[in-house]
Amino acid sequence: MKKVIMGNHAVSYGVRASDVKVISAYPITPQTQIVELLSEMCAKGELDAKFIAVESEHSALTACVGASAAGVRTFTATSSQGLLLMHEIIHWAVGGRYPIVLVNVNRAVGPPWSIWTDQNDSLSQRDTGWLQIYCESNQETQDTIVQAFKIAETVKLPVMVVLDAFYLSHTFEIVDILEPEQVRPFLPPYKAEVRIDTASPHSLGNLASPGEYFELRYMIQKAMEESRDVVRDVDREFEKRFGRGYGMVKPYRCDDAEYILVTSGTVASTTRAVIDEMREEGIKIGSLKIRVFRPFPFEDVYQVLSKAKKVGVIDRNISFGHHGIFYQEIKSALYGRTAVPMVGYIAGLGGRDVTPKVIRSIADNLLTNKKPEPDINWIGVKI
Amino acid sequence: MGEKITFKSYKEMPLCAMSIADMTYNLTGSWRNVRPYYDFKISPCRLGCPTAENIQRYIFLVTEGDYEQAWKAIIESNPMPSVTGRVCFHPCMEKCTRKDFDQAINIPAIERAIGDRGLENPSWMKKVPASRKEKIAVIGAGPAGLSAAFYLARRGYPVTIFEADSALGGTLRWGIPEYRLPNNLLDRVIASILESGPITVKAGTSVGRDITLEKLEKEFSAVFIGTGLTKSRSMGVPGEEGRGIEHGLEFLRKVNRGEKVNPGARVVVVGGGNTAMDVARCARRAGSEVTVVYRRTMNEMPAIKDEIEEAEHEGVYFHFLAAPKSIERRGSGPLKVVFQQMKLAQPDESGRRRPVPDGDKTFAMEVDTLFTAIGEEADAAPFGKAIELDGALIRTKNESGETSAKNVFAGGDAVTGAASVVEAIAAGRKAAERIDRMLSGQPEPAVEEPRTISIENINTAYFTKAKRVLAPRITADQALKGYGEIHAGFDDELLHREADRCFSCGVCNFCDNCWVYCPDVAVKRLAAEYEFDYDYCKGCLVCVTECPRSAISTREEGR
Repeated sequence: MKKVIMGNHAVSYGVRASDVKVISAYPITPQTQIVELLSEMCAKGELDAKFIAVESEHSALTACVGASAAGVRTFTATSSQGLLLMHEIIHWAVGGRYPIVLVNVNRAVGPPWSIWTDQNDSLSQRDTGWLQIYCESNQETQDTIVQAFKIAETVKLPVMVVLDAFYLSHTFEIVDILEPEQVRPFLPPYKAEVRIDTASPHSLGNLASPGEYFELRYMIQKAMEESRDVVRDVDREFEKRFGRGYGMVKPYRCDDAEYILVTSGTVASTTRAVIDEMREEGIKIGSLKIRVFRPFPFEDVYQVLSKAKKVGVIDRNISFGHHGIFYQEIKSALYGRTAVPMVGYIAGLGGRDVTPKVIRSIADNLLTNKKPEPDINWIGVKI
Repeated sequence: MGEKITFKSYKEMPLCAMSIADMTYNLTGSWRNVRPYYDFKISPCRLGCPTAENIQRYIFLVTEGDYEQAWKAIIESNPMPSVTGRVCFHPCMEKCTRKDFDQAINIPAIERAIGDRGLENPSWMKKVPASRKEKIAVIGAGPAGLSAAFYLARRGYPVTIFEADSALGGTLRWGIPEYRLPNNLLDRVIASILESGPITVKAGTSVGRDITLEKLEKEFSAVFIGTGLTKSRSMGVPGEEGRGIEHGLEFLRKVNRGEKVNPGARVVVVGGGNTAMDVARCARRAGSEVTVVYRRTMNEMPAIKDEIEEAEHEGVYFHFLAAPKSIERRGSGPLKVVFQQMKLAQPDESGRRRPVPDGDKTFAMEVDTLFTAIGEEADAAPFGKAIELDGALIRTKNESGETSAKNVFAGGDAVTGAASVVEAIAAGRKAAERIDRMLSGQPEPAVEEPRTISIENINTAYFTKAKRVLAPRITADQALKGYGEIHAGFDDELLHREADRCFSCGVCNFCDNCWVYCPDVAVKRLAAEYEFDYDYCKGCLVCVTECPRSAISTREEGR
């Protein structure tokens, strides 16, 4: 069934389709509609899940950890300050190998207070061991939730599904709604490997000596490495069953492109419109959307970008004292394999609109700038 | 459990850190390595009390408004709180932890208030019937003898008290003036003791004169001797026998009998103990100008500090570092008493610096009456054949007052020399307990080192400074007009105000802090206690820190 729904509700429908058993969340703009609709679904009996209202995001994720340890599928959603308050438990979920799915609606971090989008909240959790998937449409969002549970439960790591505040969370689009009956053959009930069992009580997450800690960390990295194939396989299986696939990355008109703009989130779709416009002008330009940020798709990125003459990366984030975060990630993916020149662009922080005009100015800059290419170009900043 | 597991490869390891062993031994998981437990200590005040009154407990019961139980808590170790609340030297207050915070609790005022409420409510004292065959004799009806009789009677032993005097009370009756201990109050205290159980009194019967100790030993299963000190010590000064010189105790006896006394305009009292203070203050009430002459200084005076202060308030003069050297009588006029100036030398066996003559410095005073109050001696001669003596005192083997004769016990001043009412009460009680164990064949209890606390163990953040509550009093001028008590008793309001100051050292008083602060809701609040739910306690020990009174201890978790 197709419906016109907002991005946040696409998340809720994805959760409903996944037979989630425990949802715990604390409201925060711009995420709130996700859990509002979920609580209604629980209240109406459309979703057979326990909805745990808590007093903070830290507790929300902790409740999910407990539920996951008890062996059920669990979900939470948050944004910005809420995600940062979860930080301790973000690590805990990984160390305990709990396959939790969390949606983070990208919102700029205060102060100054902002409710508008940028990616610094989710990217600040980059090194915690969560898989991160950035979405650009409502349909992709709903579908990614379902995929995320399957990936998480296969690799036994938590997955963060990320969408832009307002540009996606509050934007209405047509979504082909997935029903739980359709999804069940694809996503069977969750069977936990490590469980809380009152009949055989064990201490979970307890002290490990230097003789064990190291190995447990090795196992997380190994799971991350292996998750690349899992992400790919799950996406392919999903596509086969439902007709929609998203890939690790999404290249657009890159086959003969001399210039490629790398993007993520909703900026990716805007960029494709600009690419079409420039192609009509005869400029050989393409774009590459990074969908899966963790595990980082080194090979996919290399395959697309190594053929270009120059690459520009648009970052809606900044690693203070370094560069844009996607920029540094891509640079490290190409290092030693190709000497393709790269230029970094910081745009749209705190929700400033990244319009086709802004992207066109970035593309024009990429085409014309001279060596040495700057690592950071602040787009539109009032200097 | 306890077995060390070594992993050869990560492949042997579980997905996340988890205990391999079953955790039923500790349901909170391996987190807690130390556990709190309720562990009540003995409050320092109780340790300071010679008869080990459960002071913390009766003050707590006062705060709960349960005077009857408070009274019963005292009676367990002291049958006459109305007396000790008035005359004790209260060493408990010296130990009071609150002393190191602001001021010690006014324990005697609380004890007196509860004791007096006990006298007002005779039904609180449940009379005990005779339940034992063994009869016990008690010689002397002073604090030691009354205490022994009381605790023996409480255990069902028929007790016969032999008292040489016509009235009971001993030093309480004859040695302490009425402004400190009214006679009618003492009568009520003694009556309450005599009525509490199977006690018979033979007053006017002197052991030694009217009946022998040997006879009592034959007729009774055990004998307790608490005859106190009956002989006044003499000064050994030329001229001390005769007109104008009187033993202080004799004077006090006359005063306590209500006899008219007229010691004259100029009175000197020689001595620095409580008898000296009592004599001086009684002489002030008889209109004399009184000087206490003491051979040491105020610091060495054995008298209760409060009594010294009251004597000063009442206009008693003090002359320190002087001792009578000679006494001259001229006709019927005043005595001429020559005093030797003294100085303090090295400490003697009592720990006080020994007074020695300061060269040949002397001075003289015109005196109408000189009272000697330099101590009293026991008169144990009547027992000399049956039991071993230690000079004029009775020799005992231990705190229970066992003498050289089987079944004969002794306690109080007759054993220790001049001591205190409370120590006599303690000796009587301990002897009674020992006699009971002996006659019922019970083993002696093991002696454990008592565990207590100090100010460092009190979380003073929970207390605000508050001055000691004092009972209303009359002025010195009013006091000198008669023999009325100086202090009134606490009314309920004052009683509660002062009782509320108590820290309740080392003993739970249900303040709820542990229950409120436990972050894991692991403290269960039951009807009359708290309980840790170790299934939830993580051993954070917030409860230990937040317990204001150190009633929770910790123990390392056994693995």
